[in-house]
Formats: sequence, structure tokens, C-alpha cells
Amino acid sequence: MRPRTAFRVGLVLLVAALAAYPAVGTGYGVRAMLQIFMWVALAASWNLISGLTGYVSFGHVAFFGAGAYTGAILITSAGWSWPAAALAGGLGACVVALVIGYPCLRLKGPYFAIAMLGLNEVLRALVSYFEGLTGGGNGISLPTLEATVPVYYAMGVAAAAVTLLAYLVITSRFGLRLMTIREDEVAAEAMGIDTARHKLYAFLLSAAGPGIVGALAARDQGYIEPISVFPLATTITMIVMVLFGGKGTVWGPVLGAVVLFVSQELVWARFPYLHQLLFGSIIVAVVLLMPRGVLGLLQQKYHLPRTI
Amino acid sequence: MRLTARIALIVGVIVAASTLPAVGQQGPIRIGASLSLTGSYAKLGGNQHEGYKLCERDLNAKGGLLGRKVEFVVYDDQSAPPTAVRLYEKLITEDRVDGVMGPYSSPVTEAAANVTEKYKKVMVSPLAATTSIFRKGRKYLFMVISPAEGYLEGLVDIAAKRGLKTVAVVNEDTLFSKAAAAGAVELAKKRGLQVVYQEAYPKGNTDFSALLTKVKSLNPDVIAAATYFDDAVALTRQMKELNVNPRMYGVTVGGDLPEFYETLKQNAEYIYGATQWEPSLPYPGQKEFLDAYKKEFGHEPSYHSAAGYAGCVVYAEGVKRAGSLDSDKVRETLLKLETRTMFGDYKVDGDGFQLAHKMALFQWQDGKKHTVWPDELASAKTRFPTPSWTQR
Repeated sequence: MRPRTAFRVGLVLLVAALAAYPAVGTGYGVRAMLQIFMWVALAASWNLISGLTGYVSFGHVAFFGAGAYTGAILITSAGWSWPAAALAGGLGACVVALVIGYPCLRLKGPYFAIAMLGLNEVLRALVSYFEGLTGGGNGISLPTLEATVPVYYAMGVAAAAVTLLAYLVITSRFGLRLMTIREDEVAAEAMGIDTARHKLYAFLLSAAGPGIVGALAARDQGYIEPISVFPLATTITMIVMVLFGGKGTVWGPVLGAVVLFVSQELVWARFPYLHQLLFGSIIVAVVLLMPRGVLGLLQQKYHLPRTI
Repeated sequence: MRLTARIALIVGVIVAASTLPAVGQQGPIRIGASLSLTGSYAKLGGNQHEGYKLCERDLNAKGGLLGRKVEFVVYDDQSAPPTAVRLYEKLITEDRVDGVMGPYSSPVTEAAANVTEKYKKVMVSPLAATTSIFRKGRKYLFMVISPAEGYLEGLVDIAAKRGLKTVAVVNEDTLFSKAAAAGAVELAKKRGLQVVYQEAYPKGNTDFSALLTKVKSLNPDVIAAATYFDDAVALTRQMKELNVNPRMYGVTVGGDLPEFYETLKQNAEYIYGATQWEPSLPYPGQKEFLDAYKKEFGHEPSYHSAAGYAGCVVYAEGVKRAGSLDSDKVRETLLKLETRTMFGDYKVDGDGFQLAHKMALFQWQDGKKHTVWPDELASAKTRFPTPSWTQR
């Protein structure tokens, strides 16, 4: 069997195993796996804008929160079913990305990062202010519904979709242009690439995933409040996962999300006061010892294809 | 140093736990909880944890529960509702604990209760004060402290008895404070007081001058403030600067901390504060609790510690009287149970909503907190009315 075929067979088996898992897993196992899917989708989405174009988004959780609120409001006030509300959450996040991306993507380097950081704070303040719609500081309590297993599948599909999207983008001319922007934006422009438009498209693609999983997470938890859906820590975790796995790759964010989530979950169960310290040490070690991430390292060493 | 000590402690506990022989033929009763040991609620969640630990120790000293030892399994939810949801799922389906106890704060409880309800696990939630959590048809959730809406009842009651007429209500814009302010407005209207002003300010606000200028122009007899610590201090300072001098002024949370008086000195005099519990309240077992707590942890308990301890005692009482760990049996018992702990009274309605526990109102008098309401718990008379700022 050629390596490529072996890889595809393995992938199919993995998907089949994951699809069958809720039948045998415990409630916690299903919920933990659901969280892994969520992190895969989030990390892979962040990778689409920041890993490919080099525009570091420090406020990506804003799209997660926007999706969570869009979804929760549609479910509670308009009586939508949760799958429809999840898609609307993705759309809501894209609208925010359009409004913000148009001006902000003209900013370069740290200025873009800071603008995105601000976006998250502004959204949180707006959500607190428009009390009639969002419940303000009271948050929104969704009607009780036991839907962990359906949400598990929806989350799995979202993670697979974002990964597939990343594969399609990275193997396309569009992806090559984005990476050109990352390496040298002025040169990219001189080569005739419409950088503003390309960055905006990448930004929109990177917002849809977090919007959808935000709405799914809101449905699964049953209660959201401004503080719990706009935490800076979520953005940081996304970034660390991508850096660990290898930025700009297809499978890097997936690898990073799985490894870091599992190790974090194992660690904090054992050491309630220590997990943050250990998590921090992992970050420092990754950045110092393998700045290109695990996949970046393997690519270099074994001459793996760029599109892995 | 402290971290090292904790590491040593944790390692020690693990080693000790793994070498200890199982007590009884069935092993210990394991009670799971997720608490905010890190994150924004770390201080308060930590106090609650100490309450649970002391309760575990005391139960075991009295021979455990149903003849078995009691053991708490505690995880850290980092003050985040999504993490708590996952941890309760883990406690129930992986660790297969025999019972669960509530986490810290209303938002975390609101989220975690969906899980405990799904698995039909009784959860006594000692530090959730928001009424709406208990009014959603949940069957297995039990409340221990008084609801947020009742925090300022004492202030309004004294004002009404003294014949005061007007009140201004201000609050921070968060789940708990909003409910406390809404409750104060409701109570004031019921008692015939006129609410002349009501305003919310965002979390983290430090400049109250615009708000206070408005209040001053309306000159209310009473100012009722639904606060946490930082805003309570800032509000008081700026009231002095702008010479806003109502005949009564009370706050909800924060006024009860020793730091409140240390920061404001004599300016804290005459200020009223709402509290769920005070060490001085004459409840049964109070002295033993205080002594044991101080000996075990080296500092005074806060009401969070006391509520955690009392919640655990209530759950244990429910199990003892039901003679079983079965959720439905314990639920039946807890619904019927009427008891008095060192934290006060416990009695719930059909929703598990607390009816009997009483809030207290204290007043800072000569640097000490004196309970002035309700009358049957009072340790001093109110100093009324409040003199001008220069004469305190």
C-alpha cells in the first residue's frame, strides 16, 4: 500500500471509530471528545487567517462569542432549532468579521493584533449593554434539552469541515497567495495579488467556524454570560495549539488541539493548583525548542510535503 | 513557599491515600465537587473548599456516614462554567462518585445543574443565591443561602419602621447585584417607601460622581447599594467627598470584610451591610465551628466557608435520615427536612428554593460589626440617624 492510500484508509477508520464512540463511551468521554472537536475547529480556523497570512488575531474568541449569542438568542427568543441556530451563528460571526475586517486588515503587525484584542472587549461591552436582547450581565439560559450526542456529531462535522476547508485552501492558488502575503506583503502586492481582498476572504473563512461551534457550545452548556463566552484565554489556547502543531499546515492545528487538550485534561484533574503552571511550561518549551511546531519539525527532517 | 507547601501537601495526600487500607467493607462514600480554586472567584471558592474539608473531617470524626468514611473528590473549574460542566460529567460518569456538592457562584451553578439534573443527582448548592436558577423546574437542586432579592430587606425594614420616606437604589450590572437591587425596590414599594432613583453601573466602575450628584439633588433618606467590595469602598469615599449624607446607607457584599473598615477607617462608621452569616450569630455549634476552622486553616471563616460547611452538613443529614445514597430518597428527605445549623435555618419549598434561612443586617459601630437586624438576632441597637460626615 502506498503511504497515501494507507493514510486515507486510516482516516476513514478514524472517522468510523469516532462516529461509533457515543454508543460505547461514558457521558464524560463523549463530552470531552466533543470539546476536542471544538478545539480542532477553533485552532484550525485561527490557522486560516493567522497561520497563513501572518496576521495574528488576538481576538478570535470574539467570533466564538458572537456565534454563541446569535445562536442562543435565536433559540430562546425566536424558537429556532439548534442546528439552524448554529449555522446562523456562523453567519453572525461572518458579519462581524466583515465589518471589522474591512478596516482592520489594513493595519499591519502588532496594530492588527491590538485591534482584534479590542474587538473582543468591545463585543463583550456591547453584549452587556443591550440588555433587552442579550440579558446583559444576567446572561441567557437556554431551555433545558439533553442533546449532548447530537451536538457531538454536529461538533465533529464542524471540525471535519474546517479541516477540509484548510486542506482545500492550503492546496489552492488562493492559499499560495495568502502565504505570499505572509512572507512579504509588499512583494505580493507587486506581483499583482489584491492583498486586501485576499486577507478579507481568509478572515471571513476563519470566522465562520468559531461562530458555528460557539452556537453549538452554547446549546450544549445551556447557559452563557458575557464573561464566559469572551475569555481571552480561549484565544490564547487556540494560538498555542496551532503553534504546537505547526502553523500554516493542515494537520498541525488538529494535532495541537488533541495533544494539548488531552494533556491539560489529564493534568488538571490530578493537580488542581498546578495545571496552569504546567500548561505555561509547555508553551514556553514549544516556543523555545520548536518554533515551527511538531509538524514543521517533521517536514524539515523527513522532507514531508508542504500540504500535510 | 506556599506553592511548594501545596505541592508537598498534594503529593503527601496522594501517597497517603494510596497506602491507606479501605475502611469498612464498602470503601468510603465519595462526594464530588468542582470549585473555583483558580480564576476570578479563587478567594471565595477557596473558602468554600475549606468549608467542605472541615465538614469531611468532622463527619469522619463522628464515624462517617451510614457507617462509611466520607471522602471529597474536588476538581478546579477555573471559575469557568464550561469547565464545571465537563468536570461534573467526569465526576458522575467516570469517577462514579456517590454524591455531589455545588460549585461556587450562581453562573457556575446555573451551568453545572444541567448535568446533575440529567443524571438525577441531588446537588446541594450552598453558594448560589439567584432565584431564577431554582425556578426552572429542576428537581434535584437545593439552595442553602437566602436569595439575592432579600439582601437589603433589613435596611428597608428599619427605614420603614423609622418612618423614612424616600430611597435611592444603585447596583453593579451583574447577575447577583441586579437581583439584589430589584429585590430592594420591590420591598421598598411594598413598605410604602418611594424609590426616587435607580441606576446600574458597569462592573469595575470607579467614578461615581455623576451618579452621586444626581442622588444628592434628589436628597433621599436612604441609599441602598447592591455592591461587591471595590465599588462599595469607592462609592463610600465619593459620597464623603461630595457630601452626600442620607440618614441610612447600606451595601450588600464587601461591607462585611475586615478590609472594608481598615480601608475607610471612621468613614465606615454607621454604614449598614447585608450578610448571610456572621461569626457572632447565636446559632447552635457556632463556637465549635469557629474554633475548629481557625485551628485547621489559621484564619477566620467567611460566610462562604460557613455556607460550604453547612451545605455539606445538610446533605449529610439528608443521607443519614434517608438511610441511603439513592437520589430520589435523599431528595424526598431534603424536601421535608427542617433543621438549624451553625449557619442558620434550613427549609426549602418544592423547588428546592430556600425559605427559612435569614439574612442579617449589621452596622459598623466603633470599628466592630454589630448585628442590628432581625430583632431576634440583634446584638446592638441601631445608631440612627447617621450624622454628617465630619462628625463620625
